Amino acid sequence: MKALEIKGLKKSFRSNFLIRKYDILKGIDLDVEQGEIYGFLGPNGAGKTTTIKCVMGLLAVNAGEILFDGQPAATPAARRRIGFLPENPYFYDYLSAREFLFFSASLFNISAAAVKDKVEILIHRVGLSGHEDLKLRKFSKGMIQRLGLAQALINDPDLLILDEPFSGLDPIGRKDLRTLILSLREQGKTIFFSSHILQDMELMVDRVGIILDGAIRRQGKLSELISRSTQYYEVVCDHIAEKQLAHIQANFACRDGQFILTLASDADINQAVESIIHNNGRIVAVNPVKMTLEDIFFSEMTGGVFQAPTSRSNGTGGPHRPAKTGDSR
Amino acid sequence: MKPSIKGIAINTFRESARNKMFYLLVFFGILFALSSKLVSFLTLGDAMKVLKDTGLAAINFFCVLIAIFTGINLVYKEIEKRTAFNILSKPVSRDEFIIGKFLGLALTMLTALGAMAVIFFAFIALSGGGFDPGIALYFLMLFLELLVIVAISLLFSSFTTPILSFIFTVSLYLIGQIMWTYNEFRSYITVPLWRKLTQALYYLLPNLSKFNIKNDVVMGVAAHPWTILFSVLYALAYVLALLALTILIFRRREFQ
Amino acid sequence: MIRGRWLALAAIGSLLLASGMQGRYDSTVNYFGDRNAFVSLPSGRTLQVLSFGYRNLAADLLFIWSIQFYSTYNITNRFDFLERIYDAVTDITPRYREPYLIGALIMVLEAKDVPMALRLLEKGSRAIPDEWLFDNDAGYYCYKYLKDYKRAERYYNLAAAKPGAPNFLKRMKAHLVYMSDDPQTAYRMWLDLYRSARSVLEKDSARNHLYQIRAENDLPQLQAKIAEFRQRFKRYPASLAELAGSGFVRAVPPDFYGKEYLYDPLLGTVSAARTFRWKQR
Repeated sequence: MKALEIKGLKKSFRSNFLIRKYDILKGIDLDVEQGEIYGFLGPNGAGKTTTIKCVMGLLAVNAGEILFDGQPAATPAARRRIGFLPENPYFYDYLSAREFLFFSASLFNISAAAVKDKVEILIHRVGLSGHEDLKLRKFSKGMIQRLGLAQALINDPDLLILDEPFSGLDPIGRKDLRTLILSLREQGKTIFFSSHILQDMELMVDRVGIILDGAIRRQGKLSELISRSTQYYEVVCDHIAEKQLAHIQANFACRDGQFILTLASDADINQAVESIIHNNGRIVAVNPVKMTLEDIFFSEMTGGVFQAPTSRSNGTGGPHRPAKTGDSR
Repeated sequence: MKPSIKGIAINTFRESARNKMFYLLVFFGILFALSSKLVSFLTLGDAMKVLKDTGLAAINFFCVLIAIFTGINLVYKEIEKRTAFNILSKPVSRDEFIIGKFLGLALTMLTALGAMAVIFFAFIALSGGGFDPGIALYFLMLFLELLVIVAISLLFSSFTTPILSFIFTVSLYLIGQIMWTYNEFRSYITVPLWRKLTQALYYLLPNLSKFNIKNDVVMGVAAHPWTILFSVLYALAYVLALLALTILIFRRREFQ
Repeated sequence: MIRGRWLALAAIGSLLLASGMQGRYDSTVNYFGDRNAFVSLPSGRTLQVLSFGYRNLAADLLFIWSIQFYSTYNITNRFDFLERIYDAVTDITPRYREPYLIGALIMVLEAKDVPMALRLLEKGSRAIPDEWLFDNDAGYYCYKYLKDYKRAERYYNLAAAKPGAPNFLKRMKAHLVYMSDDPQTAYRMWLDLYRSARSVLEKDSARNHLYQIRAENDLPQLQAKIAEFRQRFKRYPASLAELAGSGFVRAVPPDFYGKEYLYDPLLGTVSAARTFRWKQR
């Protein structure tokens, strides 16, 4: 049984008193397997938050169905086993962290006595120890986000739905959150989250769904999506003149005195390297470059087939930082 | 009672209890009630009557103010600030949300009125007036009236902005106060269609003047037990109707 | 950018200018003229509705205002709307006693208009039928200021019949009957009161009244008989016994206590041993 299944979800809004309808969701189809981390990716206005609100019953659907473990999802019964963190969460600022968690527990009809220990554990787990009695109006954004996570876990849910959980977190916070989500998966929980920060997604997700303009454009295992795309290779060299490279069948760019050649297949590597050495050039690095999630994302955005950008490496062999080298038209 | 409803109710009460405006209004209510002593000095004759009149008027006025202001903000703020998301994304139905909110408001009004009542009773006793059970009865009636007002403001707060909620609630309150003249004015209407409509309206609009026994109480006019009973039942029934309507509206509410 | 201190000066200066202009405006315009603001005071019924449930308070405030207003002696023509104001107050809360009583008091003592007061008090009697104070006050005003004893007696009659009416009302009534020159009825009423008196004070008082009435009845008659005697015998009788013996009177009536009236043979006058000046006209 799939943890979450959305079939043909349609949602439109009517501007007040205007006859015009705005179709936000035009037929969403996605599914989330048990125990996996699913990344929900899309630009602003694509319908990510709308989809999530439909799942949580905050919005009524116009067509389609949403199933949690085979049962309708937008019901109190289903929500008993779901944990939800909204985008830019706002909690009652006159409560303290502890009071808020006890309150959240009461909404699950869990008595305060039963959840006393859990609250302490959760506070510690999300890194808010020492701030339990501080009033929420004094919390920073990062602290609110952490607390949001804690309240999403208060009922020990099977499925976690997180809307932009990484927004507002500093790098340490992001790392903590990544660790937490991964550990939750170890416990057998399913995590569904939306994000803009593609690198974080790339490091964690099992499967990805890309939403654009109210519909799912691509869905699948990350490894499949990426490996399906063409890999290419970069050869970085210097101490060579440009014209000596001209005969190599490759794009190349020049940066900081180094040349970066982009080769379409690994078969061409040896030939290129030999050629460079023959010309007394120096090989700095040979990097296999996989397509990143961002590439897939942007390719969907622009509607085109993926084209390898002309340069990826920053020349020092460090982490890949994609340089947007213009439109791949 | 389900823990979720209780949790929401207590939380709603806590929100008021930690709100400075609330304490300010209660304080001013008590202040004005006590200043009735000064007004009573100005009259010839029965000073205790003027003291009671002014004091009860102050308590009445400020409690109504508190009821309206806490009510209209309540649901609206939850939606605006999206704190409602946290609650409705839990296994809490929309019904439980509204009922919990209402009970929290009721508790808030009970506290405000209770505080004012206790202090006022002590004040009357110290001023030589003894204990007037009529005033206790009036406070009960006032509490019921406040429940109706709170339910009205909750209704509007569930679908419109605070300013409009305020206007509608205040209008209904004022109309409710003069409903006792309604039928008299109705008698001038001759067109049958309008007669029927206005008759229906008579029952739809809140008849709040029945709770306003403070004038009679101070004059020493005793209330008939049946009248009191019917007033209590009216309040409960009317509140129930309002809550049901609020829940119906709120169920269709979308949270964009 | 204008400097801060210039702005502050401009603010103060402009405000002073505006105040000055207001003053000049006021001197050219008469806000109320001869009309009092209370021409447009709504009727009591309207005020009942407009008070939105704060009826008692509205009546109280209007009443308190009126007391202050009518105690301010330098306001001219302040009695123009006296009746209207007290009608309004009593219409808002008809069962509020004070406005009827105080209003009538002001009407009698300050505005010197007793009929207006009587109208107000009768209104009170209609609104609160059980209250004896209204008729009591009305009776008193008739007695003291209008000197209309018959009418006063009627009021006291009404008052005395109401529950909780004190005893002295009956006595007032009896006194008024006496004052309206019906000594026989008065005597009977005082006799009644004498017998039903519950305290020494009440008994004494009744006795005094009875003595006086008796004396006032007897003395002129005796005096007339003495005059007849003089006409006959060309002198005053030596004593009342002689008067009796001569047949002009069958017997010399004793006073109420059974004692003889005093007689001065030189002047020929009879007088009572004690005189009570009840008739203060």
